[in-house]
Amino acid sequence: MVFAAISPITVLADGRKLMPMTHSKHDLFDDVAVRLDSVSLSYDTSEDILSEIDLVLKPGSFSFLTGASGAGKTSLLKLLYLSLKPTHGDVSLFGRSTRNLTRDQLSALRRRVGVVFQEFRLLDHLTAYENVALPLRVLGRKSSDYRADVEELLAWVGLGERLHSKPPTLSGGEQQRVAIARAVVTQPDILIADEPTGNVDPEMGSRLMRLFLELNRRRHTTVVIATHDMGLVRQVEAPVYRIANGLLVKDVEFSGPAGRRRADPREEGV
Amino acid sequence: MSKETPLLPIEDARETALFFVVAALCFLAALAALSAKSTYGAARSWTSEVEGELTVSLPGVDRRAAEAARKLIEGTSGVREAVLLTKEDIAELLAPNFGNRGLPDSLPLPQLIAVQADPKASNMGPDLSRRLTEAGYDNAVDEHAAWAGDVRRMLGIVRLVALVAVALLASTAIAVVAFATHAALLARRDIVDVLHLAGARDRFISALFERRFWVLALRAGSVGALLALGAAAATILAAQSSGARSGLLPELSLDFVDLLILVLTPLFAGLSARIATRITVMRALKEMM
Repeated sequence: MVFAAISPITVLADGRKLMPMTHSKHDLFDDVAVRLDSVSLSYDTSEDILSEIDLVLKPGSFSFLTGASGAGKTSLLKLLYLSLKPTHGDVSLFGRSTRNLTRDQLSALRRRVGVVFQEFRLLDHLTAYENVALPLRVLGRKSSDYRADVEELLAWVGLGERLHSKPPTLSGGEQQRVAIARAVVTQPDILIADEPTGNVDPEMGSRLMRLFLELNRRRHTTVVIATHDMGLVRQVEAPVYRIANGLLVKDVEFSGPAGRRRADPREEGV
Repeated sequence: MSKETPLLPIEDARETALFFVVAALCFLAALAALSAKSTYGAARSWTSEVEGELTVSLPGVDRRAAEAARKLIEGTSGVREAVLLTKEDIAELLAPNFGNRGLPDSLPLPQLIAVQADPKASNMGPDLSRRLTEAGYDNAVDEHAAWAGDVRRMLGIVRLVALVAVALLASTAIAVVAFATHAALLARRDIVDVLHLAGARDRFISALFERRFWVLALRAGSVGALLALGAAAATILAAQSSGARSGLLPELSLDFVDLLILVLTPLFAGLSARIATRITVMRALKEMM
């Protein structure tokens, strides 16, 4: 911990380190990390996938998002990581509306959001190491500056021996871990994960959850995890949001081993 | 860890096809540019040779009378030189028609005087003809500049056509690269999306494609220019052998400007590809979130 006190490097619970942050954390003190105001989304002219959604996620919060397959979880996540624009309403990140941002400003916001895609979206021609280092290359960092950290992170997710393997030669679970490592390598202010443990065994699932929790607790990263896995939900005391019929409801205020408490419907943001 | 892998996959079949298309277009464009330049050179060479030249034909006079006429001509203002051609000179001129065995004695030949006048002197032909007529000479004055003007006009059209061909080929190459860039962008949409979501700016993504097509066009342009150099060298060799025999073609050679055209071809191709790529990618990215 002395190391952690004098260095921007985060020491994880098991003694392993995460690399320095790539930008200032001054926005930690923003009131709101994510705000959705009356957000609706439809594809083409069909009916709304998401309808009049209000959501407020505070910095350093940890939330689950559940819902039946096809309910719109991934669409909601796409709105959060700025891959889609809402048909109506407004999405704000760190107190900034994304409606009228320039493309460079959007890019700057995206750099503060780490995403674990359900379908991983690894680049097949790059090695596991290069896939994880991709966001750092985008930031213009020198490989000599991050090599050891990326290797360490990959070792932490159990892929220390597969640094030079390309995604097509990795199993689904290994690809998922590479995708997670890529999402957290810059220690983003917001981490959005779509079914992040869907392809790994329970032990690795717990390990990855610990990684998310470490980021959340030590770096105050706002974490949103979309999952079907209620076992995963029960591992953490966190609010659970559920999408049904295009509407977002706070299904459970706190999940976790201590038991489930129903949400207060009057609570802000739901 | 070795060198970083490019974020765009190295190459695929489409790029190989594009390489050949761009190389072929650069070859044709370089040849057209060389043609435009050589017709310009030929026109200058031909016209500078014949401008100010006149041939005075005096039928039915002997050599002594012809010599007197030559002196009359040489004394005319604006005339630099007047040379009375010998029978051998005339035989050499008519060699393409009568061969090298000489002219038949029965052939009635006029006396010919080759005149070199100041090219800027105006109305030289009619002036000489009038003076000779006044001196009692039946004469015909052929002003070479009259048909040199036709040649010049024709070469001007050829040059214009060649320049239009260069412009069209360059535009085609740019359009092909833009089309290929768009196709590549669609084919690599997955990579572009991941880069975007990792926070890559449009310029960063565009630079990946620009670098790719800049190098491709530079290489393809070099191949096209080298092929054009080979074709030009072969043409020059052929022209030198046949032109030397007929005396009709000007002397062709590769000079500094020709080599400059060949050096600039790949650079122009690369630069055009880069600009076309940037415009295409930036425009396409704007349509994405």
